[in-house]
Amino acid sequence: MSAEQKQILVVEDGATMRMFYRDVLSRAGFVVEEAANGFEGLERALLGRFDMLIVDINMPKMDGYELLSRLRNEPALRAIPMVAISTEAGDQDAARAYDAGANLYLVKPADPVALVQTARLLTGAAA
Amino acid sequence: MALRKPAALGDTQVMASTIDLATLSLELASLEASARRGAARTLGAVPEAVPLLCDRLAVESALSVRSAIVTSLIRLKSERVVEGLLPFLRSEDTGLRNAVIEALQEMPSEVEPFVAELLADADSDVRIFAVNIVSLLPHPSTPLWLTQVVAEDEHVNVCAAAVEGLAEIGTEHAIPALEALPGRFPDVPFIAFAVSAVIRRIRGL
Repeated sequence: MSAEQKQILVVEDGATMRMFYRDVLSRAGFVVEEAANGFEGLERALLGRFDMLIVDINMPKMDGYELLSRLRNEPALRAIPMVAISTEAGDQDAARAYDAGANLYLVKPADPVALVQTARLLTGAAA
Repeated sequence: MALRKPAALGDTQVMASTIDLATLSLELASLEASARRGAARTLGAVPEAVPLLCDRLAVESALSVRSAIVTSLIRLKSERVVEGLLPFLRSEDTGLRNAVIEALQEMPSEVEPFVAELLADADSDVRIFAVNIVSLLPHPSTPLWLTQVVAEDEHVNVCAAAVEGLAEIGTEHAIPALEALPGRFPDVPFIAFAVSAVIRRIRGL
């Protein structure tokens, strides 16, 4: 990993979706780590040094809203850009994610071009 | 109303030979969470308490009490319990919804009569939750249900959820429907990616 490569943590319970994010973001030069649920995501976020987090909203055990809130309550993680992704397209769903701490709310299925652009914008990675 | 506790349920926590449903109903509405939790646990031995527990689940805010109610409903598993839980799939409370999804996955035989209706719900979010339930349901028809969703559902995220489910339990029978899916959603790169990954897994490549 070069010093300029930005690291992204993907927290998503769908294995195929995680593979997709990894594939898209890795091709764009990002280093991607994965967590399969909210608890694992919280632990990895606390132990790692990430430039951005992608958080699925509908996850079992700990949903994305709760994970975002917990992450934002950690002093070391408050400044990290966090992108919430959900199948729910309602304004109230987005508002809730923003209230919980998301910087951006994307609706599934995420477009790979938009995902990479978002990651570059929020991490400051070079195109 | 005093109900004799069903001996077969064998609740070791409740030694009394009778359970007073009226008293427990009041305790389930107590201001004290510990009293509500205790009542919820006790009512897990009383099949007649299913509506009471479901009504309380709709308004209960304490997570420990909610958890006790869901555990009791799992103990009481029946089609009546499933009927009582299904409306919560429309809840805006994701924690409650997830608890209900996990509870329904514990009662495959009881859920089976409702699967077709759930997968045909007008609300695509409900259909996604239905797919999530079905995907982890230990039931022999699960691969067939998911394959039908892939073949017929018109919403991309419902199909995506079904593809995700088939990644775990899909068989050769699912491949024709999977192969046709990217053609139905040509503008969604995730679908082509996921279908390719799932077919590779099914074929052991």
